[in-house]
Amino acid sequence: MESNTPNSDAIAARRRALAEALRQGDPVVVTPAGSVEIKEEAADNGLSGIQVPDGKLA
Amino acid sequence: MAFYWYQSDPELYKAEVAAMTKFFPSFTINQLQDGSGRLYWRGKVQPTGKGGMIWDLMLIYKNDHPHASEGEYGGSIQILPVQPRLKEIADKVMPVVLDTYGTYDNAAAHGFGLGLPHIYRNNFGRNEEYFICTADPKYFKAGQNRSTSAASALSWACKWIMLCEMWINGEISDDLALEGNY
Repeated sequence: MESNTPNSDAIAARRRALAEALRQGDPVVVTPAGSVEIKEEAADNGLSGIQVPDGKLA
Repeated sequence: MAFYWYQSDPELYKAEVAAMTKFFPSFTINQLQDGSGRLYWRGKVQPTGKGGMIWDLMLIYKNDHPHASEGEYGGSIQILPVQPRLKEIADKVMPVVLDTYGTYDNAAAHGFGLGLPHIYRNNFGRNEEYFICTADPKYFKAGQNRSTSAASALSWACKWIMLCEMWINGEISDDLALEGNY
């Protein structure tokens, strides 16, 4: 999905980081707004959230 | 004798509400108007953040909650995207899947029989709808002391949505989309 907002580079960088986290199996959390964040980065940014439980998709 | 889980186990109901209120405060709980007595949560999420899609979701408890058995994808909480509808996305993606895998049978053998990874179909009201498979039943907790909550199921769903959007955009491979290690 293309975006023309001024911070589109930041958005693209965030998506690349999330994709890499998926590949690595890094833990992620989901914020109250329903946004997925890398656990370490969320903690660094003071974001709270529920950690996605371990498990394999059905 | 109470028929519904939220009547027979009011403590579990309170725990479910407390978890959702804590982790997803914008979601609200209601009862389906189909006579089934089933409760559901509804709200919106944006798993990939800015630039990603906003998903309007229903999390519907089956009346045997908490419960999981073989082949019951996601246990006793069904996750239905109201907007966007998975069936519409799957219909758009299916031609690309068929181009990739050659035949429908081959696509199905690779886990893309419905066009998207890790979804299942079921009747809902008068329509057939596509639901998000969250976790394998063996990861769905349904014991007396601990059960998977709607909040946990929603967190799984948000991760699935992120994975699905990235797969559609070509940001992750088919293998990663299907691997599904949460």
